[in-house]
Amino acid sequence: MTDVAAVHGHAKSGFWARLTAPENRGPLLVAPAIITLFVMNIFPLLWSFGLSFFNYRANRQNVPEFVGLKNFERVLTDEKIWDRFQTTAIIVGSSVTLQLIIGFSLAMLFAKHFPMRRIIMMLVLTPMMLSFVSVGVFFKLYYEPTFGLLSWVVNLFSSEPFALLSSSTGALIGIIFADAWMWSPFVMLLVLAGLVSVPKYLYEAAEIDRVSSWRRFVTITLPYIKSLLLLAILFRTIETFKIFDIIYIITEGGPGSSTESIAVNIYRMAFQNFRTSRSGALAYIILFIVIVLTNLYLYSVNRRAHEETL
Amino acid sequence: MPLSTFHRQVLGTCAATLLTGGFSTPLLAADITINMAAPDWPPTRFFKEHFDKTYKSPAGHNTTLEMDFIPWPSFYERVAASLTSGEQKYQMIVTDSQWLGSFVEGGYYLDLTEKIKADPELIAIMEDLHPALVSAYSTYPHKSRKQLEEAGSAIAPDTHYYGFPQFPDTYVTFYRKDIFCHEGEAAAFKEQYDATLPCTYEDWQDVDWERYAQIGKFLKRKKGEQLAGETLTDDFYGISYQAGKGYDFSSMQANAFIWQHGGDIWDETNAPEGQAEGVVNSDVAVEAFEHYLSMIPDMPPVAQTGQMDIFVIQDLYMQGKVASTIDWVGLGEPVLDPASSKVHDKSAFGPAPGLRKEDGSIDRTGNIGGQPFVLTTWNSDEVVDEALNVVKWWLDPDTQIEAVSNGGQSGLMSVMADPSYNDLRPWNRAHVEMIDWQKDVWHIPLFFEMLTQQQEEFDKAITGQKSARDALDAVAEFQQELLEDDGFIE
Repeated sequence: MTDVAAVHGHAKSGFWARLTAPENRGPLLVAPAIITLFVMNIFPLLWSFGLSFFNYRANRQNVPEFVGLKNFERVLTDEKIWDRFQTTAIIVGSSVTLQLIIGFSLAMLFAKHFPMRRIIMMLVLTPMMLSFVSVGVFFKLYYEPTFGLLSWVVNLFSSEPFALLSSSTGALIGIIFADAWMWSPFVMLLVLAGLVSVPKYLYEAAEIDRVSSWRRFVTITLPYIKSLLLLAILFRTIETFKIFDIIYIITEGGPGSSTESIAVNIYRMAFQNFRTSRSGALAYIILFIVIVLTNLYLYSVNRRAHEETL
Repeated sequence: MPLSTFHRQVLGTCAATLLTGGFSTPLLAADITINMAAPDWPPTRFFKEHFDKTYKSPAGHNTTLEMDFIPWPSFYERVAASLTSGEQKYQMIVTDSQWLGSFVEGGYYLDLTEKIKADPELIAIMEDLHPALVSAYSTYPHKSRKQLEEAGSAIAPDTHYYGFPQFPDTYVTFYRKDIFCHEGEAAAFKEQYDATLPCTYEDWQDVDWERYAQIGKFLKRKKGEQLAGETLTDDFYGISYQAGKGYDFSSMQANAFIWQHGGDIWDETNAPEGQAEGVVNSDVAVEAFEHYLSMIPDMPPVAQTGQMDIFVIQDLYMQGKVASTIDWVGLGEPVLDPASSKVHDKSAFGPAPGLRKEDGSIDRTGNIGGQPFVLTTWNSDEVVDEALNVVKWWLDPDTQIEAVSNGGQSGLMSVMADPSYNDLRPWNRAHVEMIDWQKDVWHIPLFFEMLTQQQEEFDKAITGQKSARDALDAVAEFQQELLEDDGFIE
């Protein structure tokens, strides 16, 4: 018995020793993350991808029926979906542009030293630290025409209540403004990181050479912040493309469907109408678009790195 | 004398019986936990509170009720996610009646027909429930009240029953006594419209939509103007009803107009012959929808944004921004709470307005609110029987009176007929008057898809992007195609 136990113990310690050998420690340490990623992310992704080729609704007991690419075809030929893509594009284009302008201006401001700079910067950064729900509720109340702040201010001049969200254009402006308010500080932060990395001697040399401020910006500042600016554009484009919470809380996609983004549409399709497979197909089309956007960014960064090495 | 084995067994059994509480308690009393999904609002909070205080299992079980109080805005999504994920968390669910089809077809809600047929107590409850509630809250495939009444018995043949009323709701008029009963305002209204500004319950019984629209125009005042002898510090409005894009927050009121005018929504009891096109967008339905839209310009400006849902009108009323609102009885209790309402001591309740017919009577047909509770399919017989005991406890007249005294409502005709009922809460008289007018919207699994699209089109009309005709044409076309695809229309 003793011999068997000893052999067993030896085998165990041998297995343990092999497992914890220096060459195996890397995979061992990474394994929990890989397993979690697979269970929580990769498997559901593959499963939903598979489902997108079937006719399946989560609230029915029918056996899923294989329909090939029909869900993709139906989604891509649906006028309503293209309308939602168009709305999303308007929000992305306008909001990201606004975020860049505001974020860049703020970064230029905070790149200089002035009294209470740190405290003011902390305050400016606050919106991006708030939850989407808080921001959504805040702006919903802010735009409320009976007792909202915006209507109150307009009322001082027009003596009529102001209902920004009553028209398609007004509601889109409301959504874009709320999103830009929340995320401009993020752009500011990235641009500021680029600005502080510019060596001071370059500016000093430019000053000696009496270079105009515009030329200084184009030839010194911009090259240093270009990659970070691109990163900000990419992050914000991808994130705004998926915009959901703020729209759902402020307008629920209304008036009518004028502010319904593609993400809100997927949510309705999947969790309210239970078009499970079709919503899966649409979600994969969006994933594809996001991957294309990401690769465009990586391509531009790599090309720039290549140019620099030359 | 030594005891024989038989004597020892008899004595042992008697001792065990005494120790477990007597003959009425079975020896196999079990610990049962019933998890219930419920919207987070006073009627369900009271349910839990009262259960913990008073419920004793007739089967002798040690029964615990665990309630998941889910906020209203995410209630459907949370319940749907739980059911379709297969987690089998809930034994009972407080559900909107319209979800019956979706979750019965999904295999989640338990068919209680045989259980009811086998239990005289449940049959007695069904006989006592108002038929409008049995029709709306219990039957799937849906049977109309007329169909059930024609069957002539509490349990109609070829009918499947799923739910019992947890909170039967109707909408009534909440109004400000200090404004509507103000002599100066009443005199001015009389002079302007040659009509009575409704002050008493009886006055409100005579209010039709025409009068309500007049009230809207009459009480719409600008900041700085006088109202009931006081100078207004904000713009003020006279009327409001639901006109929101979310969930069913315009369809419920718009349906009332359509039914009152003699139009109809797509009627699932006529499937598969009943059509959507030509019915949903009939001339009468368009006229009714235009009537619904016609009062919105005189309501608080949030109506123009399509966000005037049942909570917004409740809030505007409680904040003293509007003189009256048509809202669910279930939202009445906070109106009387000094902590949440500026008009807690100035409010009274009347029936909702309706359409005056040629004979002078008023048609108040409306869309029923409230919720039944249902049982789920994955429970043991023991849990199902105990859940039905909970149903019986809740629908016991004593429990119902207690619930009504605390802001709830009853669906039992015997309880509503009790002479003390109308005085238990200030809206009870209106509720009893309104419940007889109730009908329900669709129950089929496509309910949410139809509702979302209809709400979107109604919202376009409410916000002035589309005419009533164009909105109803779009609704009819969508419903026709969707219902044909799914075989509900042939």
